[in-house]
Amino acid sequence: MGVYIKSRASTPAFDPDAQAFITAAGITDNTQKTAINTLVVSLKGYSIWGKMKAIYPFVGGTATSHKWNLKDPQDTNAAFRLVFSGGWTHSSTGALPNGVNGYADTFFNSLTNMSIIDCSLGSYVAGTASTNRSHIGYIAGTNQQFYLHTQTTTEKRGYTASSASAGYYMSKTGLTATTQRGFWAASNRSATDRAMICSDASFVYSTLSFSATQVSYSLYIGARNTSGAAASFDTMEHRLDFIGTALNDTELTNLRTSVITFNTTLGRQV
Amino acid sequence: MIQVGLLTESQKNELVGQLYDEDSYFNPIQDLDNNWIISIEEIEFCVNPEFQWVKTLPLIEYKPKPEPPLSEE
Repeated sequence: MGVYIKSRASTPAFDPDAQAFITAAGITDNTQKTAINTLVVSLKGYSIWGKMKAIYPFVGGTATSHKWNLKDPQDTNAAFRLVFSGGWTHSSTGALPNGVNGYADTFFNSLTNMSIIDCSLGSYVAGTASTNRSHIGYIAGTNQQFYLHTQTTTEKRGYTASSASAGYYMSKTGLTATTQRGFWAASNRSATDRAMICSDASFVYSTLSFSATQVSYSLYIGARNTSGAAASFDTMEHRLDFIGTALNDTELTNLRTSVITFNTTLGRQV
Repeated sequence: MIQVGLLTESQKNELVGQLYDEDSYFNPIQDLDNNWIISIEEIEFCVNPEFQWVKTLPLIEYKPKPEPPLSEE
């Protein structure tokens, strides 16, 4: 008597939000699919998912796969899908701006899409830092700003307030080529409660009060939007960026954990 | 040394707002000497048949304009 074994290739059931992104970005690699799904499930488990406005995982290795917002994978400006300009190198390790003229427009507006006292943003970066380069954000004059900045090769700053004076921004000094890499994020919880989580998981705070006038500029990635023009072009490779509402310290720590796990699954952790 | 492609004013005008691949736009900028330039990546990765002429642009050394002043008071 023969034995009949019925088998069928099984397809893992992914979270619907992860699946929507995988479909939009045309991701076919199983490791990449799993990494995306784990990231989404993890963020939902930490109750961070709902606080995210845009997440750019840079998976798939091309501009066409890197442009998608995990939170809303539609090919529209309103969904904060990226538009790349200038020189970028896209690969399986992420999206590398050239430090000359490369940037990406998020179409996330600093006036209509966020509140300056309830916002966060961050980047997981690799490669080589250069002086006076921005990872993500915008600045208008000297009084409205929200961006992550490599001030020098030994200092990273989070500018999150209406004033650019020392004490209003968060500064992490003593960095090395290695510690410039990794997860950096800033969060405005109120006009007197701002924090930056650093690549070593430490925090820097600012509690100086500010009164910000909201302005209307799109946040850029790989540079900062400086009053409507890209500047401070970044030289570090982006392996995930996000924009969200305010995150507390625990949420920033949990987000860092999720992002590191995501990039470790992809074999591109720093 | 970073090299970039040197554009004429008219070539710059042709590239503004145009794609060099399916999802990437040219971004001509001016260098320290006010030359219009594009990056080596835009040249190398250009697959738009309309703009294959960028691959024959003369290459010059990139001399950046000074960055806008740091936002520090």
